[in-house]
Amino acid sequence: MKWSQFFNTSIGKKLLVGATGLFLCSFVIVHLAGNFQLLYNDEGKAFNAYAAFMGHNSLIQFIAWGLKIVILLHAFIALQLTFSNRAARPVKYAVNPGNQTSSWFSRQMAIMGSILLIFIVIHLVNFWGKFHYTEMPTRTYEGSIEPLKDLYALSYETFKNGWLVALYVIGMIGLSFHLIHGFKSACQTFGLNHKKYNGLLSFIGIWLFGIAIPIGFAIIPVVIYFK
Amino acid sequence: MEHYNMNLTLKVWRQKNKNDQGRFETLQAKNISSEMSFLEMFDVVNEELINEGKEPIAFDHDCREGICGMCSMHINGRAHGPWDGTTTCQLHMRAFKDGDTITVEPWRAGAFPVIKDLTVDRSAFDRIIEAGGYISVNTGNAQDANCLPVDKNKADLAFAAAACIGCGACVAACKNSSAMLFVSAKVSQLALLPQGQPEKQSRALNMVAQMDKEGFGSCTNTGACEAECPKEISLTNIARLNREFIGAGFSSEK
Repeated sequence: MKWSQFFNTSIGKKLLVGATGLFLCSFVIVHLAGNFQLLYNDEGKAFNAYAAFMGHNSLIQFIAWGLKIVILLHAFIALQLTFSNRAARPVKYAVNPGNQTSSWFSRQMAIMGSILLIFIVIHLVNFWGKFHYTEMPTRTYEGSIEPLKDLYALSYETFKNGWLVALYVIGMIGLSFHLIHGFKSACQTFGLNHKKYNGLLSFIGIWLFGIAIPIGFAIIPVVIYFK
Repeated sequence: MEHYNMNLTLKVWRQKNKNDQGRFETLQAKNISSEMSFLEMFDVVNEELINEGKEPIAFDHDCREGICGMCSMHINGRAHGPWDGTTTCQLHMRAFKDGDTITVEPWRAGAFPVIKDLTVDRSAFDRIIEAGGYISVNTGNAQDANCLPVDKNKADLAFAAAACIGCGACVAACKNSSAMLFVSAKVSQLALLPQGQPEKQSRALNMVAQMDKEGFGSCTNTGACEAECPKEISLTNIARLNREFIGAGFSSEK
């Protein structure tokens, strides 16, 4: 089987979705660690220096563009699979089993993924776009060499808007519901289903990616709003 | 268990042939014994329909002891009805109460077109088996049974996978109409044994290719198939199929 055929099979496409999904899982950990600097009481010195590093380091920038391609690839193939899966049952059932045979989360992957995709676009417009493509106020800190773009202040200004805070919380609920099934599902697609590791994989999927990380992200705009 | 009789309202899918649009028909099933199987209840209803000069409901059945995999009925939203690990013929009427309304539909999947009423065409499964679900054996004397060492644990796993009766409940239960549990059981029963090794790569690649060609959906690991399988085939088989397919795809020279 040629590569072109292999990655056109149902399992081949799922492998691409799973691989890109796991890469995105690793990304959210790094992103959250960086974001927590927004809560430091240092008037943004650490966060702005970090943002300047992330925005100018060429290796990071290379990965950042790769990340956008990975998100689009993940969404595109997953949506393609979703539509072909829907088409595989032209006449629907009159009665469906609901949660009796499968978890609710596992059936909402496309919906939650779509919510996330919309959220990501809004999020990029809010911060990434403004950081790279607009003139931003700068700030010079004691001991720093040059003035830094004040992404910290932009974050505080953005999250004074209650609607946006609500939107970010909804986005993170989408992330939570997506990853509660997504992480473990990707492992299964790669053939990783073993008595000795299943407990650990479920724990990581549900508690780390499904609960801890989305709460970590969501807490930042909420704290800023009430500060 | 206490015996009782019940009156039921049935909403059954009626469809003249493949091209007919089909619709639900409401029927009354009277004086049904709790000791009957679901299929015996259908026999009673059909006898009455025949006596009234009406067309009986077409449904698949053969062994009526839970091993042939023919009795495909989607009952109240569940493949083979509400009981776990059971085919329709092994589902007893004591699962229902007097006055219940029961909706009975055929397996719904593009790859399983309805032939008539509750009967569907599952020959797509046969074509998947033909694509690689076998071992090639040369003619000649049978070899000594003990000359191929087999690990007992693997033999047990292979046997559990081989319990698949090809009923199609996995496809019927899956929101994507995916046949992955079926294909994974058929690949696993051979991949776990030494006899299956020579053709393992082409088997995984060809069976998955045929599965896609038949128009089944892809697996999203919801686990509905495992929950509905009358033979309780495990999702670990799907993981094994994925490993077999990945291994073959990455290393096969063809």
